[in-house]
Amino acid sequence: MSPDLNVVGNSVGRSDGIGHVTGRTRYTADRSFPGMLHLKMVRSPLHHARIRGIDLSAAERVPGFVRALTARDVPHNCYTILGLIGVEPEEEFVLAEDRVRFKGEAIVAIVAETEAAALEAVSKVQLDLEELPAVFDVEEALEPGAPIVTHWGNNTFMFEGHPCRRVRLGDVEQAFQQADYIVEGVYNTSPIEHAPLETTGCIAVPEANGRYTVYTNTQALYFSLDNTAIILQVPGSQLHFVGGTVGGGFGGKVDVIVEPIATLAAMKTNRPVRYTYSRAEEMQVSSTRSAWRIYVKDGVTRDGHIIARKVTSYADSGAYSRQTPYALTKHAANAAGPYAIPNVAIDAYCVYTNRQPTSAMRGFGVTMASFALEVQMDKIAEKVGADPWTIRFINAYHDGDMKPHRKLVEDATLIETMQAAATRVGHELPDVFRSMTSAPRDAGHDGGRS
Amino acid sequence: MASTIVAFELGGREVEVMVKPMTTLQSALRDQLGFTATKEGCRQGGCGSCTVLVNDEPMLSCLLPVEDVAGQRVTTLESLTPTQGLHPLQQAFLDANAFQCGYCTPGMTMLAQALLDHNPAPDRGDITQALTGNICRCTGYGPIVRAIEVAAQAMHAGEEGQPR
Amino acid sequence: MTVRSYFLPRSLPEAIGLLETHGPELLVMAGGTVAMPLINDGISLPGAVMGLRRAGLDTLEVAGGTLRIGAAATLTQLLAQPAVPMLREAARNTASWSIRNMGTVGGNLFTPPPGGDVAVALLALDAGVTLAGPRGERVLPLADFFTGFLSNQLAADELLVEIQVPIRSDPTLFIKFGRKHANTPAVVTVAMRLEWDGNVVADARIALGAVGPHPIRAREAERLVVGTSLSADTIAVAAAAAAQGCEPFTDAIATEWYRRRMTGLFVSRALEQLAQGAEGEGR
Repeated sequence: MSPDLNVVGNSVGRSDGIGHVTGRTRYTADRSFPGMLHLKMVRSPLHHARIRGIDLSAAERVPGFVRALTARDVPHNCYTILGLIGVEPEEEFVLAEDRVRFKGEAIVAIVAETEAAALEAVSKVQLDLEELPAVFDVEEALEPGAPIVTHWGNNTFMFEGHPCRRVRLGDVEQAFQQADYIVEGVYNTSPIEHAPLETTGCIAVPEANGRYTVYTNTQALYFSLDNTAIILQVPGSQLHFVGGTVGGGFGGKVDVIVEPIATLAAMKTNRPVRYTYSRAEEMQVSSTRSAWRIYVKDGVTRDGHIIARKVTSYADSGAYSRQTPYALTKHAANAAGPYAIPNVAIDAYCVYTNRQPTSAMRGFGVTMASFALEVQMDKIAEKVGADPWTIRFINAYHDGDMKPHRKLVEDATLIETMQAAATRVGHELPDVFRSMTSAPRDAGHDGGRS
Repeated sequence: MASTIVAFELGGREVEVMVKPMTTLQSALRDQLGFTATKEGCRQGGCGSCTVLVNDEPMLSCLLPVEDVAGQRVTTLESLTPTQGLHPLQQAFLDANAFQCGYCTPGMTMLAQALLDHNPAPDRGDITQALTGNICRCTGYGPIVRAIEVAAQAMHAGEEGQPR
Repeated sequence: MTVRSYFLPRSLPEAIGLLETHGPELLVMAGGTVAMPLINDGISLPGAVMGLRRAGLDTLEVAGGTLRIGAAATLTQLLAQPAVPMLREAARNTASWSIRNMGTVGGNLFTPPPGGDVAVALLALDAGVTLAGPRGERVLPLADFFTGFLSNQLAADELLVEIQVPIRSDPTLFIKFGRKHANTPAVVTVAMRLEWDGNVVADARIALGAVGPHPIRAREAERLVVGTSLSADTIAVAAAAAAQGCEPFTDAIATEWYRRRMTGLFVSRALEQLAQGAEGEGR
């Protein structure tokens, strides 16, 4: 190790450590401003409904009520989470217009002098809703006659005109004919809420110079700023976002949901406005990791080589897609696993249902594929009567192999990772696996990696 | 809905707050007194991030009307911090990296202080049992438990006048 | 949370007076561990609330072979009392330290399932409850107190003021089965007390929590074990009767099906343990 390294190999104290252990770190909700108002949201009590009317009169009479915001007040009433990276179409409203598509969808924002008054006013808003049939299962949502969640007529996100993300390599159907065994599995995962200890929130403060300072615990500060500027139709220079201190995120605070409406409320009232999720909102309204259903069909030779893999995946996006199409693309690229398989067919669907919207969470798209595929690998091992290590070593990909989505494998480490894992758990590997490397297959035994 | 004045002892000094009926101790501390070390994670009694000591016993300030602590002794993380340096628990949390986002740290520290008041030499089981109501979403708890063990030893050694 | 009045009475008569004055509009709160979360989130919007923390209802004393528990005694106080071991076990298995410092024994009787674990133990112990109102006090068995989900015998102008627990030496067992080892809602809670006459069960109390609208007695299972020596067959039949007779529900913790299965399993385990204990003690 080079003697001039100051950090590598040393334990470096955290710059925010003293703040954390003394409680002096200032999180978003630790700030307070004179005259600060509180925003609370009227949310849909139904999974799917047409909005026939909203009666604010009783709410307006609650002492401390300041004003209500509805869809009409929002200059560009669409979230632009994906639009910012060029993914269309826009489909999620800041405040619901004629329809609500999940239980908990925001309909009316209430701004009041105190949080208590805001909550009381929220309870007094009368919604006239016509309940519509709802769908909660990804495959039911794709059946003819299913309730349609989106505004474009079917329940899938469209990838370049296709209802699913497709990856093809070789010919799986022909390879299934040649296989000694067909091994099939269906794998389901549940939605998972990030549950950060600090709930999502922000405070928008009007400044004397006409700008708005927004203190936020977003994980994506400039994403949040751009999204707010577009929704409010103001130049980005009118917004000053202050963030960086986040009480737990794990991907859950890239939704950029709270800042636009809080800033709009600050504009309409010319006062600081705080909008922080309750724990129930964090659990029931903020995005979760998607639930997935993954079908895997493998063609396997008698000696355990996988010669064909067909994967059909359904991500339950919930009522709006947020970052799930992006997760799905990552999923499709990885749905064959870290294995060299000559024939692959992947169809991955991002499906809309009347559930809570879903979005980013650590390793999104890939984690669920790994779960499905690694259970599947064990099933293959059982079927061919080999041990699970062997099945993985003989199918592991090497540098230079072609992945199904036409990328050459680089920096493969599956073999070395398994070797290290075997050592750690005290599992004795046969020599043939102990001496294996991820080096390109045509580069000789040790591949020049040494 | 008249406000009332509630007086209590906070970190060794007398404080008074003027509150609407049933304002929580959490809100009085954070919103009125500016003592924001006490956190707000759920306001449901489910996360422990608002743990404070009332007469040296751990309680959840989100579930406690401030009227209920009139005349009582309340201790928060602010008053645990010495004038110079750090309390042994704070030092141990810092050294062990017993936090990532830091949001659970004040509640964890107050709970740990209460534990060491009751039991100066807790074993690992005592510590994990005591911490069951305080959620940390980042660390997996290991470094927190270790920090409390280290702090217990340091405080024990300190009391016996041994070199630290 | 726009509470317009909060009262902290300093005595029982003052509390009853407030209840009489304000009627059913007055929300009575002891430890606040159930009511405050609802108020904080605006789910419950009471106009007036009465807190019992200063009303002098927090004493625990043993008198004449009975443990008398003030309704506002905390679960931490219950954990510290030496007289009734099963109540310590129930308190230990309820919530977390901070919550036990706030939550009360009386409040536990008003905690909707799957909460209310202490009440399950109290039911197995033949506890009685004292209700006080403007017309005086009345005492009834806890078994008669519950009438449905969140409903009970308490009149609108009455307060639960005390719980009485007969102190006995019968073998008891408390099992709370949850998704985690601690601080967790129950899948099912089983509290059991058997009176032995030699090697025959003379009387039995099998109380169940989280598998009904309130803590319930598995009366058919009780009937099946009385007069027996708890053979494996008896245990199997009684456990099946307990599973059959309970009224489980589905929530985020467990399904109705799973709760019923676990009810049978844990009633069976509890009976086995008590049967072995009986053998071990030479009965």
